[in-house]
Amino acid sequence: MAISRYEEMNDMKLDIFKEMGSIGGGNAATALSSMLNARVSMALPRAEILEFNDALARLGDPEIVIAGVLVELTGEIQGIMLFIIPEEFSDEVLFRMLGKTRTALLELDEIESSVLTEIGNIVISSYVTALSSLAGVEVELSVPQLAVNMLGGIMSLPMAMMGQQSDRIMMVTGEFNIDDKALNSGMLLLPDVESLNILMKKLGVD
Amino acid sequence: MTKKISVGIADMKIARQEGELITYALGSCIGVAFYDPMIKLGALLHIMLPEKNMSESNVYKFADSGIKETLRKLYAFGAMKGRLVIKIAGGAKMFEMKGAGGLGNIGERNAQNVKRVLAAEGLRVAKEDTGANYARTMSLDVSTGQVYIRSAGKKERML
Repeated sequence: MAISRYEEMNDMKLDIFKEMGSIGGGNAATALSSMLNARVSMALPRAEILEFNDALARLGDPEIVIAGVLVELTGEIQGIMLFIIPEEFSDEVLFRMLGKTRTALLELDEIESSVLTEIGNIVISSYVTALSSLAGVEVELSVPQLAVNMLGGIMSLPMAMMGQQSDRIMMVTGEFNIDDKALNSGMLLLPDVESLNILMKKLGVD
Repeated sequence: MTKKISVGIADMKIARQEGELITYALGSCIGVAFYDPMIKLGALLHIMLPEKNMSESNVYKFADSGIKETLRKLYAFGAMKGRLVIKIAGGAKMFEMKGAGGLGNIGERNAQNVKRVLAAEGLRVAKEDTGANYARTMSLDVSTGQVYIRSAGKKERML
């Protein structure tokens, strides 16, 4: 049955996104592992549909500074994906890639910014590859963009996008383990409602 | 210690005489602070989108329905149109977007529509801090009417 709002997603439909998150996350972990030259794994992701304020509360203090990498999806699936990198995650990555110890997110230089953008790009591409091969849909990705600012501000874009159709947002969150160190990150997969219906139909859960 | 009253996304709170109304990390959203100094009545509204496009949704999500509902409540509490001081903040562009349904300039459209709706209600914006590419936390001290803005990596300033 086609849905017209996010609120109509049931647990079975959400499980599909959890599964996709799990496969995508597995791919992302493999890619990160070779980039960082470390053992990377991902804990079982959570897929949830949350009211805006609850979604923000789940991610943390709205004023905390984070890095967000955003990619627009076009083709058979329309929407955006946002990968949220907290400072702790960034520190670990920059240390492994560039040997840097502690760089405040607001003071990233060009090279550090491009490393984080690339990490986001890898994670997002892995998810989208999982999604497009599972569902058999063609998806094109835009050039990734990095923004560093307060979490609440970064989240205003995906929320405004979903806000046009709903009072809720779908969020797949996961935790990466880099050499046994647990690091939180957030992945927001935001297809519009029409694309959601296409996905569910292709996956046979409609 | 003044009492902090937190205003969520697509939310509005009113306070009288004392307390600090605060909304965190406005990105493309807009915070609208209303204040009647005579009776020390203040409201802080946090809108997300320019125009109401669905019937069953939260009124405070949109500039048009949110401002109208806030004014209705303020007038019911005794605010006078001629005394209201209005300040707005937010409307930033956090990402450069090409597609995604014209969301690239959502912050700018929010700011424009907030001002348009206020003008249609016979009100004007006294001070504003909108645009650019960073988030803002906005607070209104109801005992004084002072509005403060803070952003990551910048000093808090009075609007």
